[in-house]
Amino acid sequence: MLKILLLLPLLGALFISALPGRRARLIRQAALVISGATLAWSIWLASAFDPSHADVQLVESHSWNPRLGSAFSLAVDGISLPLVWLATLLAFIAILASGGIRERVKGYYLLLLLLECAMLGVFTARDWSLFYVFWELTLLPLFFLIDRWGGLGRQKAALNFVLYTMGGSVFMLIALLMLYDASPGHSFDMDAIRRGALALPETAQVTLFLALLIGFGVKMPIFPLHGWLPLTHVEAPSPVSILLSGILLKMGSYGLIRATWTLPAAAEALQGVLMTLAMVSLVYGGVLAWQQRDLKAMIAYSSVSHMGVVLLGVATLNSAGLIGAVMQMVAHGLVAGTLFLLAGLLYERTHTRDLADYGSLVAVMPRFAFFTILAFICAAGMPGSAGFVAEMHALVGGFERWGGWVVLLSLSVLISMAYAIRTVGRLFTGPASPRMQGLPDLSRSEMTAALMLSFGSVALGIHPGPMLDLIATSVGRYALLFGA
Amino acid sequence: MLMPVPILPAEGVALAPALPLIAALLILGLRIAGRGVGESGERAIARITLGANIAVEGLLIVFLLQGLILGWPGHVDMGNWFASGDWRLPLSFTLDGMSLGIASVTTFIALAALKFSLTYMHREAGFARFFVGMNLFAGGILLVLLAGNAILLFTGWELMGLASWMLIGYAFERPTATLNAQRAFLTNRVGDAGLLLAMALSFLWLGGIDWPTLEAGAPRLPTLYASLIALGFVTAALAKSAQLPFTPWIARALEGPTPSSALFYGAVMVHAGVFLLARLGPLLAEAPGISFLIALLGALTACYGWLVGYVQSDVKSALLYATVSQVGLMFVAIGLGWFELAAWHAALHALWRAWQFLSAPSYMHMLDAPTRPAPEWLRKHGWLYTAALQRFWLEPLADRLLTLPSRALARDLRALDENVVCALVGMSEAQRVTELLSTREEVVKGRGVIGRMLAWSAHHLYRFERRLVLQGGDGSLAKGLNRLGIWLRFVESLLEQPRYLLVLIMATVVVIL
Repeated sequence: MLKILLLLPLLGALFISALPGRRARLIRQAALVISGATLAWSIWLASAFDPSHADVQLVESHSWNPRLGSAFSLAVDGISLPLVWLATLLAFIAILASGGIRERVKGYYLLLLLLECAMLGVFTARDWSLFYVFWELTLLPLFFLIDRWGGLGRQKAALNFVLYTMGGSVFMLIALLMLYDASPGHSFDMDAIRRGALALPETAQVTLFLALLIGFGVKMPIFPLHGWLPLTHVEAPSPVSILLSGILLKMGSYGLIRATWTLPAAAEALQGVLMTLAMVSLVYGGVLAWQQRDLKAMIAYSSVSHMGVVLLGVATLNSAGLIGAVMQMVAHGLVAGTLFLLAGLLYERTHTRDLADYGSLVAVMPRFAFFTILAFICAAGMPGSAGFVAEMHALVGGFERWGGWVVLLSLSVLISMAYAIRTVGRLFTGPASPRMQGLPDLSRSEMTAALMLSFGSVALGIHPGPMLDLIATSVGRYALLFGA
Repeated sequence: MLMPVPILPAEGVALAPALPLIAALLILGLRIAGRGVGESGERAIARITLGANIAVEGLLIVFLLQGLILGWPGHVDMGNWFASGDWRLPLSFTLDGMSLGIASVTTFIALAALKFSLTYMHREAGFARFFVGMNLFAGGILLVLLAGNAILLFTGWELMGLASWMLIGYAFERPTATLNAQRAFLTNRVGDAGLLLAMALSFLWLGGIDWPTLEAGAPRLPTLYASLIALGFVTAALAKSAQLPFTPWIARALEGPTPSSALFYGAVMVHAGVFLLARLGPLLAEAPGISFLIALLGALTACYGWLVGYVQSDVKSALLYATVSQVGLMFVAIGLGWFELAAWHAALHALWRAWQFLSAPSYMHMLDAPTRPAPEWLRKHGWLYTAALQRFWLEPLADRLLTLPSRALARDLRALDENVVCALVGMSEAQRVTELLSTREEVVKGRGVIGRMLAWSAHHLYRFERRLVLQGGDGSLAKGLNRLGIWLRFVESLLEQPRYLLVLIMATVVVIL
């Protein structure tokens, strides 16, 4: 079943490559149908998935390179399944929001579908070599998407992004190769690697974990490694920003959760480091987001802050914290997706991202105003949004470990409230700017996209039970490792 | 012997409150989509409304017959709304003679009022808005009647409050209508506070808020605890049923269109309090003091309604005060422990009043003689007459006792806010507005002590970010790589020359040897 999930966008990309490049409408519709089918298939997976079962399910394994011990093996559990849903949903939304792309349409949709396939591969791989292949495979389409369809500084941004990520993944690759070397049967299978890793001395484990942390931390991003993020987000075309912040960042944190499972002793030894990094990211990202005048840069920095919540949840190494981390990945995926979607639509209409240029848009674009205000409320983690549930769990988990220190999380929530309110105020109140008159409000397809994402945020906030149960079953197995 | 099987599973009762709410949402959707106006829109709204409510009535009658023949299902637990640790908010309904009986009568009245208003509201500007309110109300009252626990009841209670606020303020362009809507809503909030208090206390002392838990737990509670819980519920009931001291809001509520008054204040909503207290019979049995209070307030309200009703000069007010005094009698019955009598009284009275209210607009045509003046004895006692005419000054009294002190407190707090808090966290509202209007260039700006601290740290962190983290982004990373590339190309060009290659080979040989 998972094979089909990966094949759908891949075959779709092949199909699009066969279409004539002039038929832009046809290509767009084909891409929509393909990503819609992938979304439907990923939801259909739920029927075959048993949520009461903690281990990975829907396993498919084919030997790939027997001499090297790598296998094409796919599976999902309660941690990766929500992310698979998020990836297929956001890929669909990104394609839906790509109406503004007018040139080289064929290449654009082809790359987007390839990107979707690679992202789904990262979340479903059960073999570290396969994981690494898919991990690197996401870079190719992204590089071209940013480099060819981005803003003014797109070349620099694309290069910068790829260099940063490659730099990180070098460390990851070395760590994976050393783990492979240590594994008993010389296999890249995640379970086999874990068995080998447990036998290593603790200092070796800590070193390997640090290397993995650098690799995943660049993607996440964690505080000193986030240099690529603001530039890339500002320059990338908005649908790509949706995917970047919605899913690509989650690949880092997802890898980190798998790394704690592989090297539990190291994770426990580095718990303090992780927590410190999380707290710094939280406050640092929040303060810098507050400082920005550029709408997209602001959302990008707020991503650093929100991913700090994920890192905090992972660092707690207990059940509540890990649930919070996975939940926050989903919540932030939905919220960041909505915000970048709306920011992109606004940029398409106004060709400015400076907050000072906007004013009284509520009279001109009431539907846009509604969704933006809702998205900012969700981003600030108000009760009734998915972010609230996630932050609550991270807070509870963090409090169990470190007590009062988690007040920093509340501080960052406060800061995020400050810039959310300021932005809403700037966008929608004040004197009307003459340049902003007569802007068209959201079209039907744009509204569908915004509605789907906002509905997801609010529905998960009001009725989080099933999702929390799904995550908790799998996360419980991880938390048991650390005696909590 | 063959066991008769119920036609509808008991869980299906959840549809009854859901259908009118869905109808309200549909109408809202129609209106937002730009439809729902004009003749065709009115027809669509009529179909949605009547369809939903007829379906509900059918459903309730099936449940009623099923219950009469096969026995009442009683408390139907349908799982949790949500749960955390050892407390939970259940999703449960109560299906017994009282709830189903009163619910089917209520829906019948609602249907009559809805059918009536289809003609009455024809070509009114707020046709869709009116029916959204009516459907919200129908869903809310069914939630109240069928709820198996206090939280569902509270949800319905609030929906009724919302619908009532919407419809009293129906003619929102008239200041009196909005003022009255606000007043009625605020008075009802006092009752809601009581309901919340009662729920919190029963969680604390009984560990749950569903009716069976309350029923089973009440006898084991000390009288004081039981009385406190009961007091919360009784406050809510008094406010909703417009008993003393909350009566004045209901006179203001008449501002809404006649069919809504008929449904809300004449027939159905005023009886919600009676129903709630009848449901809580076992709890009231443990709180004799509270029962006495209910009987006393009920009796007082009955007298009050009777006296004030005599001097009303318009038909709606007269009917309303008659209703209030009848409901007062029901409260007396409740206070004396005759719950079943109160429930029957409520159901019959609701039917009768609904008919009276709906025909109120045509009374002027039906009467051939002038209305009777106030009776002789009342006119003789001038002070009583004046008091009745002034409705015993209840509203000015409430203003003097509650509104004015609240305002004074608010003024003091505002002064504190202006002088201390604003200095700490930002400027005063007035200053900020003028600033917003005058300069729009300065987007990122911290106000007050805390804001300035944030701005200061943001400034320094941003400098750090630019210097250290973004340097790669400014191109120095690429520049460095370029320099490395040039240097490597230079090395390579050296190696291409044979003499250097020879030197390298010789050096390698030397090292190996």
